Amino acid sequence: MKRTVIINLSPRKKGTSVMLSNLCRDFLYERGHQSEIIDLYQNLKNMMVILDGIEESDTIIMVGPSYIDSFPADTVYLLDQMTENQEILHGQKLYGIIQGGMPYVHTHESGLKMLEIFSTESNIIYKGGFVIGLGPVINGTSLNKLPNAKKIKKNFNLFLNHIENGEISPAQLYYDSQLKMPGIVYCYLAKVMNKRIKKELVQKGIDYSQRSPYLSRSDK
Amino acid sequence: MITILSDDTTQNVGQKLYDRFCEKGVKAEYISIADVNVEPCYSCGGCTDKTFGKCVVRDDADWIFPRLIRSDVMLLVTPVKWGAYSFKTKRVFDKCAVIGNRYYHVKKGELVKGMMGNNCKLYAVGVKDHCSVGEKEVFKELVAENINIMDIQGNSYVVDYDIDDNLTTKMVEEMSL
Repeated sequence: MKRTVIINLSPRKKGTSVMLSNLCRDFLYERGHQSEIIDLYQNLKNMMVILDGIEESDTIIMVGPSYIDSFPADTVYLLDQMTENQEILHGQKLYGIIQGGMPYVHTHESGLKMLEIFSTESNIIYKGGFVIGLGPVINGTSLNKLPNAKKIKKNFNLFLNHIENGEISPAQLYYDSQLKMPGIVYCYLAKVMNKRIKKELVQKGIDYSQRSPYLSRSDK
Repeated sequence: MITILSDDTTQNVGQKLYDRFCEKGVKAEYISIADVNVEPCYSCGGCTDKTFGKCVVRDDADWIFPRLIRSDVMLLVTPVKWGAYSFKTKRVFDKCAVIGNRYYHVKKGELVKGMMGNNCKLYAVGVKDHCSVGEKEVFKELVAENINIMDIQGNSYVVDYDIDDNLTTKMVEEMSL
């Protein structure tokens, strides 16, 4: 039986990365894979849980949010730990999934490229990844809520099929899923989102025009 | 003011750049992040709901961010880790959203955000000996994406640990403009 470890790279216990991790687990379980999800941030003080999971697996799927255009910081810590414990790497297949707020693939793709370069320096084989924009918009609910849901679901499913078969998943899959809208629509979208942000702050009793606390004298 | 944020765990390129800025009479500040403690960003939303504009966690970011937000140039000096920033650099950088603009605007037909305070330039210097062409490209693409999403100006370099003097001069001149 094939063993897959899905590593949730998000610090959030609920959210879009967890939802995507669950989709991976359920898809592979239904097809006879043994798969488990391990949270990176819940195990930072005891990395052996993750390292053991990696050692025992044939396939690794890293799923996480995009923090300023790449996976969160502790992903680098995890890769550092894997480098220091090379004996746990025995030719496992590695896949990555990164999701972020901006709807563009290029904004988040650096995260996958980091995994790809890592694999060239380790005994691990990078097999491809998937990029999903507007991830925080659905906040862990369902891919159905994305404006490009039809394309995303179809191509994400093809991506999962590639994982099941241990095949390379081409970047074209997520490029083809990308939401494409003219700039004028983004101008409108920006106005709507900014209005919503301000409205929510007002509802919470927050003065959104206040200066950053980091600019106050006490923070000098 | 140029604020250098340097993960000098394994490199001293940041220190060399700082020395050169000082020699040139450029106002610069050096922050070593080798031993600082910056906790992860947990995406908790506390910097919106609880302590508006400030991280709810008390750590070394409390004294780092007031410096970053006042600087004209943020200069990251980091070991290159698989075409990306080091763990320590990324821990600080992940939290930079808190000194970023929370509103969107459109630039070149795409949504971007911006930065608060004086910050108008981002430079990143990746340090790695014999860095492959491919890895250099990935590092430079990452920094270009950062510059784009922050809607500021900047540039990136990948250099050897024993950085060439002429290159140091060229970089310092570019960043001092």
